Amino acid sequence: MISKAQLERLFVSSVMLAFASLAISIVGIKPQLFQNIQLLFLVIALISVLVLGVQSKTIQFNANRLKKQIIGWILSSFFSILIWSFAQKDVQSIFPAIKGYRKALNTLEPVAIYLSIVFILFALILAIVGARDSRLDRPGYIERTLVYNLSSKIAAIPMMLTSVGIFIVATLWTVYHSFTNSRMLPKSEFIGLAQYERLWNSDRWYMSIENLAIYGACSLVFSLFIGFLLAALLDQKTRFENTFRTIFLYPFALSFIVTGLVWQWILNPEYGVEKIVRSLGFESFVFNPLYNTDIVIYGILAAGLWQGTGFIMCLMLAGLRGIDQEIWKAAKIDGIPMWKTYIQVVIPMMRPIFITTLVIIAAGIIKVYDLVVAQTSGGPGISSEVPAKYVYDYMFSAQNLGQGFAASTMMLVSVLIVLIPFAYLQFGRRKYD
Amino acid sequence: MTDSQNNSGVVEPRGPKPRKIMSRRNIILYGTLLVVAIYYLIPLYVMIVTSLKGMPEIRLGNIFSPPVEVTFEPWIKAWSQACTGLNCDGLSRGFWNSVQITLPSVIVSIAIASVNGYALANWRFKGANLFFTILIFGAFIPYQIMIYPLVILLRDLGIYTKLPGLILIHSIFGMPILTLLFRNYFTTIPEELFKAARVDGAKFWGIYFRVMMPMSLPIFVVAIIMQVTGIWNDFLFGVIYTKPDTYPMTVQLNNIVNSVQGVKEYNVNMAATLLTGLVPLTIYFISGKLFVRGIAAGAVKG
Repeated sequence: MISKAQLERLFVSSVMLAFASLAISIVGIKPQLFQNIQLLFLVIALISVLVLGVQSKTIQFNANRLKKQIIGWILSSFFSILIWSFAQKDVQSIFPAIKGYRKALNTLEPVAIYLSIVFILFALILAIVGARDSRLDRPGYIERTLVYNLSSKIAAIPMMLTSVGIFIVATLWTVYHSFTNSRMLPKSEFIGLAQYERLWNSDRWYMSIENLAIYGACSLVFSLFIGFLLAALLDQKTRFENTFRTIFLYPFALSFIVTGLVWQWILNPEYGVEKIVRSLGFESFVFNPLYNTDIVIYGILAAGLWQGTGFIMCLMLAGLRGIDQEIWKAAKIDGIPMWKTYIQVVIPMMRPIFITTLVIIAAGIIKVYDLVVAQTSGGPGISSEVPAKYVYDYMFSAQNLGQGFAASTMMLVSVLIVLIPFAYLQFGRRKYD
Repeated sequence: MTDSQNNSGVVEPRGPKPRKIMSRRNIILYGTLLVVAIYYLIPLYVMIVTSLKGMPEIRLGNIFSPPVEVTFEPWIKAWSQACTGLNCDGLSRGFWNSVQITLPSVIVSIAIASVNGYALANWRFKGANLFFTILIFGAFIPYQIMIYPLVILLRDLGIYTKLPGLILIHSIFGMPILTLLFRNYFTTIPEELFKAARVDGAKFWGIYFRVMMPMSLPIFVVAIIMQVTGIWNDFLFGVIYTKPDTYPMTVQLNNIVNSVQGVKEYNVNMAATLLTGLVPLTIYFISGKLFVRGIAAGAVKG
């Protein structure tokens, strides 16, 4: 015989599994199969409710200590039925005002049916659980899941939906479809690694990767170095510290588009830096990074550094302020020069900040897109392409979704390579604290 | 800021020896800072100067020289006449679109994220941390991998290329960092206050609206600053989830400046660029330290 606690767990888990299969069927992976699986789980949930009812021999909606909850769930169920009915053609012909939202309603329809069934089941099971006199009994699993802290769980619904429903499901969807031959529209025909083969045989992708590597390595090194240097300079009890910080940080408030366009103008060979140096008498001076395929990425780097270094400086400054001032006194007494104190004492002490900053910069680098679009649009030729732009172009201009999905999956993989060790370090450290 | 303020009870000579103002150290320190500051200010200066010149002057002079004849013509042209594709009503259209996108996105995302952060900080339930971890991971994952499924979702909901769609997108992608911000702030509020409110009979929403929200106005201001600048400056989502009629300002700006047809009017371009940058810059210069606090809070993880 199954015990009460086991039945309750069975109920909750089958409801959750039903929800998962509903999500999968909405995403479009074998919808028919997963709809049937969803139905199966709902039936299991229903059976567990019935068995529980038979075991406890009572179903009481009135005079129940969980009365408010039961009414609430029944009302919620009623609302979901209402939404479901709005999606029906007959109802829509009665109330023509709804027709404008037809598309949204059709999307919501399966969820609404699911919710109305589940809510009714919740009401039923609470009627069973709450009917028994449980003054001595510890509240069961069901009650703890459905009743306790309910407002908090409802308030966290947007977070749950976003984290699971969007971040995880959308990511898996894209990864799955990167193995298909989707072109104009996503298809679910599996073709193995063909998209990746094409990706890695494409000159444009190689160029993108190479550019990203150069841009990433340089901007990591330079923004850390310059950012730390500026922070150290501002940390000398400098006067006008706020003014300087305001000046160094203002580019960070600007859009990448604005940054890109300004630097495009400054680096313009006809009117910009090149012309000025030439007019000073150096007639053969050449400085046109945005029109030279070999160095165009450094032109973009200049703009990127101009925008981002102030931010790194702020993080470093916060780190320096967190250092115990006694360290400086101790170093002074020992006669250690200041630069040596920085390198041998302060920087090792700031290791956590450096790691965090590193991850932030790395995550930002891989997203570089706007800057390139504004400054060069990937040109001249393909010499300043980056992966993010590759993804966008293949998804929305070249109508070759499969390539876009494969490229974005590669981006994901590279981020995870950085992120997982970092998360491991973070969580590992917390354990020992 | 300095240690000398912290232990003010000690009665012994403290602090560094008084130094000469023109010491070698000071010259190097302030000299470096000044040079870097000039480097940082040059683009802003060039933008302003170029946008105030006429085209003939730009062709003759160099980009750093101040305007001989100040003209506001480029500004007016950028605001109301510059062309993108077929419509020639200038950046004003993009500006109003951006306003219509930014305001609701900021309100919705902050409302959701603050309640989420509150639930995570004060009303933790089983499994909450799992969702939160996934959410934070989502902040680092490249958006490119989630773009297309969201296009499908918006299309199914019938709001693809419309403003509500973009607002939804901004609310979704603003959530990780804002939730983190609010969660971290709410955990620093003394728990006794929360307990006292509970003893007095306040429930979830009562505590949120009567205790937590009034106590955390600064963090709301920080969040507003972060979101307004972030959403205003966004380009990627704007270009994907809108169409020419509903383009936000950044997308329209890029289209005006990088359009291949016609004679390039650099002064108009720079005026348009400045106009787009004006909103976040104003917020930045007004908010000052709160802006710094916002980016630091968004960056430094638990």
